[in-house]
Amino acid sequence: MKRILVLALAIMAIVSIPLAAQAKYPNKPITIVCPWSSGGGTDRTARYVAEALSKELGVPVNVVNKTGGSGVIGHSEVLTAAPDGYTIVNVTFELSTFKYLGYANITPSMLIPLFQFNEDAAALSVKADSPYKNVKDLMDAIKAKPAGTFLFSGSTIASAWDLPRIKLLLAAGISPKSVKYIPTQGGAAPAITELLGGHVDVVTCSYPEIASQVDAGTVRTLATFSEERNPMFPQIPTLKEQGYNVVGGTWRGFALPLKTPDHIVKFLEDAFKKITDTKEFRDFMAKNQFGIKVRNSKDFSAFLDSEFAALEKVMDEAGYLKK
Amino acid sequence: MLEAALSLMRLDILLPWILAMVLGVFIGAMPGLTATMGVALIVPLTFHMQPIAGLAMILGLSFTAIFAGDIPATFLRVPGTPASGAAVLDGYEMSKKGKGSLAIMIDLFCSTLGGLIGVILLITVSPTLAKFALKFTHFEYFWLGVLGLSMSAVITKESNVKGLISISGGLLISTIGIDPSTGFPRFTFNNLNLMGGINFIPVMIGLFGISEVLRAISSQSQDQLSGAAVLQRGRVKILDVFKVMGRNKRVIAQSSLIGTIIGALPGAGADIAAWVSYGVAKKTSKKPEAFGTGSEEGVVAPTTANNAALGGTWIPALVFGIPGDTITAIVLGAMLMYGLKPGPLVFQDNKILINQIFSVALISQVFLLILGFLGIKAFTWVFKFPKNVVLAGITIFSLVGAYAIRMNSFDVFMVVLFGIIGFFMEKVKVPLAPFILGLVLGPMIEDNLRIGLIKSDGRILPFLTRPISATFALILLALFLYEPAVLLVKKLRTKKAA
Repeated sequence: MKRILVLALAIMAIVSIPLAAQAKYPNKPITIVCPWSSGGGTDRTARYVAEALSKELGVPVNVVNKTGGSGVIGHSEVLTAAPDGYTIVNVTFELSTFKYLGYANITPSMLIPLFQFNEDAAALSVKADSPYKNVKDLMDAIKAKPAGTFLFSGSTIASAWDLPRIKLLLAAGISPKSVKYIPTQGGAAPAITELLGGHVDVVTCSYPEIASQVDAGTVRTLATFSEERNPMFPQIPTLKEQGYNVVGGTWRGFALPLKTPDHIVKFLEDAFKKITDTKEFRDFMAKNQFGIKVRNSKDFSAFLDSEFAALEKVMDEAGYLKK
Repeated sequence: MLEAALSLMRLDILLPWILAMVLGVFIGAMPGLTATMGVALIVPLTFHMQPIAGLAMILGLSFTAIFAGDIPATFLRVPGTPASGAAVLDGYEMSKKGKGSLAIMIDLFCSTLGGLIGVILLITVSPTLAKFALKFTHFEYFWLGVLGLSMSAVITKESNVKGLISISGGLLISTIGIDPSTGFPRFTFNNLNLMGGINFIPVMIGLFGISEVLRAISSQSQDQLSGAAVLQRGRVKILDVFKVMGRNKRVIAQSSLIGTIIGALPGAGADIAAWVSYGVAKKTSKKPEAFGTGSEEGVVAPTTANNAALGGTWIPALVFGIPGDTITAIVLGAMLMYGLKPGPLVFQDNKILINQIFSVALISQVFLLILGFLGIKAFTWVFKFPKNVVLAGITIFSLVGAYAIRMNSFDVFMVVLFGIIGFFMEKVKVPLAPFILGLVLGPMIEDNLRIGLIKSDGRILPFLTRPISATFALILLALFLYEPAVLLVKKLRTKKAA
C-alpha cells in the first residue's frame, strides 16, 4: 500500500513538473527593474505601472531600484536578465547614450522595446530678470558675446536635458563649445537652484519641473522643445514656432531581454495597452505632470533605432562621443 | 499656529504619524536603511491620505530615523544612518566605559533639542536663511568640503601621518566611478558595479561595524560586548543627563546653528553637519584632548547637529520650492500626488498648510523623546543575548542592510571587504573616521572645484574673492595658523626672557 502511494506520488511529481513549466504566463511574481532611485519621477511611474499591471495580470509585480552609474547599472539588467518575461526593465532616454559615452555596450538592437508610455520635451528657461524675451534674443546674445560667457545647466552630462541644448545651439549655427555647461547631479532641481541663485544663465529641463518658479515670477520659460504646444501649458511657444527646427527631451518605457518568447511580448504589450487606455492612468500622469506618449513594441522599436542613430552626431558635436 | 496644531489632533492623522515615527526608529537603527529610504518607502502609502497626514509621516519618520541611527552607533559602533557616522566617535567610547546608556540618553535629549531649535529657526528665519543658501554655488561648496576635510586633522587622535594615510584612502576610493564633470569612467576596469562608484554606506558599515565584530571575535578575552555593560550599570538618572546638557549649553547652541545652516544648503546635509559641528566643538573646547575618548561634548555636538539639520533641509523647500536634501526632494515629488504644486507659491498661498507643517515638526519632537526612549529600551534588549549571538546578528543585519540600499550584492561584498580593511587599519592604529570623511567629502570637493573652475575659465580668483568663499578661506587659514602662531609667540617670549 505504502509503496503504491509513494509510486503514485512520484508519478504525480514527474507529471506535474512539465505541467508547471507549461502553466500559463504569468504564474509567479514579476519584477520591474527601475534604474533610478526610489522617490524620483521614474520610480513613481514604475510603481504606478507595477500596481496596475499586478491588477491586470493577477500576480504580484515588484519594483526593484537598481541605481548607480548614471543609470547604466539598472539598464544593463536588460542584457543579463532571464528572457522569461518575469523581469521587465524600465528604460529611459539615457539608454541611447551609454554606448556613445563608453559606459556600456547597449544598443536598441540588444533588447526588445516593449512599450513606451511617456515623453517630456525639454524647455528653455532664463531668470525672469534676464533681458532675453525669446530664443532669438538669447541666441543672438550668445553669438555676440565672447565664447564662454553663457552658462547653461540642466542635469548631468549628455542627459536628456543636456543634449537638446546642443541640438538648439547647432541649429542656431553656434558651436556647442562657445557656451559652458554646468553639470548637476540628481535631476533638474540643483540646476534650477543654480539659476535662482544667479550662478547660471540658462536651464534646460521639462516645463513642469520649473513651472512653479515661472508661476512665482522668478523664472521665464522661452520655449519648449516639442513638436507642438503642450495642451497642459499652451502659453509656452515651441522652438519650431520661433524658427528653430529642434525637438528633444526624455521618454520612459519598458523593455525585455532579447530572447523573450513572442507570445509573452505580445501578452505584456496588450496588458500595457489596457493600462494606458484607462482614465486612472491619464489622471495619474496629469497629476504628476508627465506627458503621455504611447508607442507599441513595433513603433517604440523604430523610434529607438532612429533616435539612437541620430544621437551619434549630436554626441560627437558636443564632444561626448567616446571613439 | 495653535489652531493648526489642534487641527492635527485627529485619529486619521495621529495614527499614521506615530506609526511612521515608530517605523523610523526601526529604519534608523538598522544599518544600511537610511532615513531617505524610509521616506521613499512610506510615500506611496501616503498618496491616498490627506496631504498633512502624509507630510506628518514623512517629517516624523525622518526625525526618529536620524536619532535612531545613533543607537547602534553608540552601542555597537555600527552607524545606523550616514548622519550617525560622527556619533560613533565618542558615543562608542562612552559605551566601552560602561556609560553607553548615559551617552544615548544625552544623545536623545540633544537630538530632540537640536531638532527643536532647527524647527524654530525654520519657522522664524527661513526666508533669510534660504536667501543665504542660494548664494552658495560651487565655489562655496568647495570650501565647505575643505573645511569638513580639515576636520579629519581635528578628529585624529593618533599621529597626523596616519590620519593622512586614512584620508587619502577615502579620497582615492571616492574617485571610482563616472566622473561627473566629464562623464569619464574612472578606475572602473569596465566593471559595471565600479561604474556606479563605491557607495559610502557599505564602506561605513564595514569599516566601523564589521571590523569591530572581527576584533571582538579575535580577542582572546571572554569579555562581554561593551554595550552589555549598559545592563549592569542600571538606570540613567535624568538629572545627570540634564546636568551634562547644562554644562554644554554653548556646544548645543552652536551645533544647532551649524546643523540648521548646513542643512539649509541644498548641496550638504545632516552627515556633513554632524562632522563639522564635531570638529568645531573640539576646536572650541577647553578639553580638546578628551575628544575621541568618550567626551560628553563629542557626543553632544554631532547628535544635536544631525537632527537640527532636518529643520534646515525644509528651509529652501518651503521658501523656494527647491529641495534641501534627498528627503525633501522626495517630498516635493510626493506633493504632486497630493494635488499640491510644489514651488514658491504653494506655501505663500497656503498659510494653513504651512502652519500645520510647523506644528507637525514641533510636536514630532515630543513624540521623538517618547518613541526614542522606547526605541533605546527595545534596543538594549539585544544585550540579553550572549555575545556570539549578538555578533552574528550584527553581521547579518549589516549585510542585509547593505543589500537593501540598491539590491546589489556588490555592496554586500564591499561591507565584508571594508570590514577586513578596517580591522587591519585598527591593528596598525590608522584611524577609521578620516577614511569615511575622505570618501564623503572627496566628491564634494573635487566636483565643486572642477566645475567651479569651468565656470571661472580656470581662474582660482573667484574661490577667494566671493564674500562667503573668502570667509571660509580665512576661517581655514585661522584654523591652521592658530597653533603654530601660539607656539611662535611663546618661543619669542622665552627668547626675550632669556
